[in-house]
Amino acid sequence: MKNKVIMFWIIIALTLLSIFVIHSMPTRLGLDLKGGSRIVLEAQTTETISKITQDMMDALKATLDRRINPQGISEITIQQIEDKRLLIEIPTDSDLKEVRRKLSEIAELEFKKPILDDNGNVVRWESSGLTGKDLEKASVGTDEAGKWVIQLSFNAQGARKFAQLTKEFRGYPIAIYFNGEVMSEPLVKQEIIGGQAQISGDYTHERAKADVDLLNAGALPVPAKILEENAVSPTLGVDSLNKSYIAGFVGLAFVMLFVIFWYRVPGFIADIALIIYSLITFAVFKITGVTLTLAGIAGFILSVGMAVDANILIFERTKEELKAGRTLFTAINAGFDRAFTSIFDSNMSTIITCVILYFLGSNIVKGFALTLAIGVAVSMFSAITVTKNFMHLMFGTGQLKHPALFGLRESDINQAYEAAETKREKAKFGVLD
Amino acid sequence: MSYSVLNTKKIIDVIKYRWLWFSITLILLLPGIIAMIYSMIHYPTHSPLRVGIDFTGGSIIQYAVDHNISSENVANIRTKLMDGDIENPVIQVLKPSATDSETSIKYILSIKTKFAEENQSEELEKITKIIKSDYPEAEVVQTNSVGPVLGQQLFVNSMIAVVLALLGIIVYLTIRFHFEFALAAILALCHDLLFVMGIFSILGLFAGVQIDSLFVTAVLTVLGFSVHDTIVVFDRIRENNKFYAKNASYDDIVNASVNQTLARSINTSLTTLITLGALYFFGGVTTKDFVLVMILGIAIGTYSSIFFASTLVALWNDMAEAKKAGKN
Repeated sequence: MKNKVIMFWIIIALTLLSIFVIHSMPTRLGLDLKGGSRIVLEAQTTETISKITQDMMDALKATLDRRINPQGISEITIQQIEDKRLLIEIPTDSDLKEVRRKLSEIAELEFKKPILDDNGNVVRWESSGLTGKDLEKASVGTDEAGKWVIQLSFNAQGARKFAQLTKEFRGYPIAIYFNGEVMSEPLVKQEIIGGQAQISGDYTHERAKADVDLLNAGALPVPAKILEENAVSPTLGVDSLNKSYIAGFVGLAFVMLFVIFWYRVPGFIADIALIIYSLITFAVFKITGVTLTLAGIAGFILSVGMAVDANILIFERTKEELKAGRTLFTAINAGFDRAFTSIFDSNMSTIITCVILYFLGSNIVKGFALTLAIGVAVSMFSAITVTKNFMHLMFGTGQLKHPALFGLRESDINQAYEAAETKREKAKFGVLD
Repeated sequence: MSYSVLNTKKIIDVIKYRWLWFSITLILLLPGIIAMIYSMIHYPTHSPLRVGIDFTGGSIIQYAVDHNISSENVANIRTKLMDGDIENPVIQVLKPSATDSETSIKYILSIKTKFAEENQSEELEKITKIIKSDYPEAEVVQTNSVGPVLGQQLFVNSMIAVVLALLGIIVYLTIRFHFEFALAAILALCHDLLFVMGIFSILGLFAGVQIDSLFVTAVLTVLGFSVHDTIVVFDRIRENNKFYAKNASYDDIVNASVNQTLARSINTSLTTLITLGALYFFGGVTTKDFVLVMILGIAIGTYSSIFFASTLVALWNDMAEAKKAGKN
């Protein structure tokens, strides 16, 4: 009995610890529950790039990161999945228009020199060798007329090239191409040595800012194509979450009433065990950093179902043992022992399934498998330890004086005595026939 | 009189009426199987169910609207979208939930179209423009575009995962029980999957319901639950067989085991169905089909563990004994 009391306090401590963890650690919600977007990109080979290397993927990832998260403050994550794919997750923002543009722009800046005919007219433009790679920094500024311009400062090499270019073509126009389009064709008035230039197009401030971000982030090392995109508005996310909460509470309340109605006092104990179970499971979710998604919630609900099932199995078995005339203590023990193989085998097969699904499944299935596996593991603990402990503490070791506590009738037990050849004494010592 | 499994109060005689149960199984499965065959012949994808964009590639864009849209207006929207060069749009209005607070989303207008490789964003913006011209309050709540390559890959991967999970269960049950039990459990599982898929095939034909990644997740849940349920009954058969094999026939042991676990089987399913029922009536609009799969699957899973899996084990045992007797 002393052990039982110690165990009781361990359970209470664990419960309090779980409440503390749940209270102090943030819940990580998936994009489908808080809104946000998710994009899968694949690097594409071109005529010049025949194979995508890991270096290219790293460079692509770094460039994209600078583009969509120029200040590095938002919670955007980019991670590589498989050899050529990147997964971008943007929380709470479900407007993909701006993001799509940032991802697909090539951001190629190029200064082109004119090829002139005999009269000094421009026949065509040709690459000057000065590109976005020579850029140190781009920023938004205004010109004398107060219009928005993009100011460029070149690095040392770029400044040298720019000086060379402006010296060679003094008095002629040069062209600034951005993403294959002419942005402006300024006339070179003099040689420019400081490595400073500006592009004056018909910019709005937003457009100038967006292009500056692109220029600062640099060109993509390889082109990338969007394979999949998924955006959920925060409105829908919050709606799904709230409705899941309501549904969860209503469902749980009904289940608890049902269990009490059917199993009486043990049912009440099972309900307390169920609450402890939910608390511990949620605490484990938070500690292990599980991101909760709709599929994850499904996994959790299923595990609640299985946790209730473990209790039901045990109680049905205990009832049978009581009917066979055992004392409370042996009946409870026998109920647990005999139900345990069922619980163990069925839960093991569930965990095997979860492991396979976790390693092979898509993202959405992974979340499901993880929450279910955690839930099932905790449910074995809660059914075996928590329920059993509470049952023993509650009922002690004597004869069952009030069968109604278990939802049994007096006659059930008496009939069992008559039917059973097993002696009362034998049953008392928990000998199983 | 000795205390024996034979004394168990029989509520259902699963052995005596086994052909009745097998017939009921057939009646339950047949419409779905017919629907799946019909679908395989008539759908351009040649799939037994109407597959959604997750697996075929395509785009879905969903708008929250605050009043219901009649079927006439849906037809109107379709015409307008087609006039706007949107290829073959599929339009659905999702019904609201029982909860009706000010903040919650009422109706969802869902539009599915193909995945445009080149100008995906322009396509979606064009659709939004057309919708907003008629329903200015419509707010985009969800967009989902999947390229065809990724869709097929996801589908193949999901199938591999399901098959491996089944193999894992067979191996485990063979080790812990017996190969016959493992096979019966898997057949019961296939029975449940066929039923759920059949219903969704019918829903696909008559209500245009498509299956997506969430459907696969729900099916996996059913798979887990069904095996769980079957194992509990099998565990009882194994235990009873150990103690009473000498003075009771195998059929009687199976019969008694099913009846002993009957209360548990039904109670467990009921508690899970209560939770799922709450999710169905109070949960989000977008997860209704998902929950429906689980409700159907768990109900049929209980049926199959009581009437199908154990009857099958008894039948095989009878056949094996008859064979043995024939040899002697």
